[in-house]
Amino acid sequence: MEWVEMSARTVKEATDLALDRLGVDEEDAELQVLEEPQPGLFGRTRGKARVRARVSPRPQPQKQERRERRRGGGRSRRGGSAGAARSGAVDAAPAAGEDDDGDGTIDSPSNDDTSSESGASPRPRRRRRGSRSGASQEAAPAAAEGDNVESKTFTLDEHVACVEGFVRGLVDAFGAEATIRIDEVDEDTREIKIEGDDLGLLIGPRGLTLQAIHEVARTVVYRAAPDGQDGRVRIDIGGYRERRRHALEQFAAKIAGEVADSGRARTLEPMSPPDRKVVHDTINGIEGVRTTSEGEEPRRRVVVLPAD
Amino acid sequence: MSDVDDTTAGSADTAIAVLEYLARALVADPDGVRVEADDSNGLTLNVYVSDGDMGRVIGKRGRVANAIRTVGRAAAAKDGETGVSIEFVD
Repeated sequence: MEWVEMSARTVKEATDLALDRLGVDEEDAELQVLEEPQPGLFGRTRGKARVRARVSPRPQPQKQERRERRRGGGRSRRGGSAGAARSGAVDAAPAAGEDDDGDGTIDSPSNDDTSSESGASPRPRRRRRGSRSGASQEAAPAAAEGDNVESKTFTLDEHVACVEGFVRGLVDAFGAEATIRIDEVDEDTREIKIEGDDLGLLIGPRGLTLQAIHEVARTVVYRAAPDGQDGRVRIDIGGYRERRRHALEQFAAKIAGEVADSGRARTLEPMSPPDRKVVHDTINGIEGVRTTSEGEEPRRRVVVLPAD
Repeated sequence: MSDVDDTTAGSADTAIAVLEYLARALVADPDGVRVEADDSNGLTLNVYVSDGDMGRVIGKRGRVANAIRTVGRAAAAKDGETGVSIEFVD
């Protein structure tokens, strides 16, 4: 996975920008704070925060920790602890264990599916991607060891089977007729495609139901394999994702054109992380405009600006 | 299943089936899952789970619960029910 690096006024803003660029939720990303703004007079800060992030090659165990820190970390840095944590690898959180107090189960899946389409999120396990564990990850697996005594991981095939089984059962409970097939998107990604009539309700307004199904599926996977899963498994219903992506690209290109012509920034409606990623990617490929994001999940929005 | 289309409480069969399915998929004790409709004040579907499983259906900051609600409402819409509230009870 590639790293992205973003600068902003605060660590939090830089983090949010980086996450947007990646199109994933914080839980699915590996973050490193490269630089913090220096505290100046009267609570002002000087300098910029720089954050480096990439999609986690493996689930991160210390979400809780990281989250807490980030929450507390917006503008009022709590002196020492925040500083210490920032020394580089945000991931190497000492308190990692506290994430999983036995019910670790509920944590990770809450990684809003939205993003990286399910699969690849929750736990660290170097079984397959050992080579990727950079310094920032070293501390993680050790910390995670404690909570899940018997380590249970899914291969990509098991991962796919788990999601597929879940989806089939759901379609049945829904009383819908559907065919389900599995698409190989790339080496690490499979898409479970559900096709049939009357699936609109399962997609929901703006794909919200699909998103929710994804969320539950992730949770189910995580419960079954708390130590991690290989690959990513996405769910698409009635071709929704494809259509959505296509429509978003066109929409983004149109907005980009308008912003370039008028020179005036446009704020888009709130979107999920993967949708924002599509918008960012599309617009950043267009001359004369750039993007940023504002607001908090789930109401985070892309802002399209004339390039300066 | 699609023959369920009257709109009285108790007709939310699809929603109940879906909620049971989702809850069972998530808990440690699937036998402890039960979903009941309560029509006393608008339609409410109460999802009962075993004591220890509450956290599993709620999730961190209610994310799992909200996802379940979203899917449950979609199923209720199929039953012709809108504005259903879905509660988790242990």
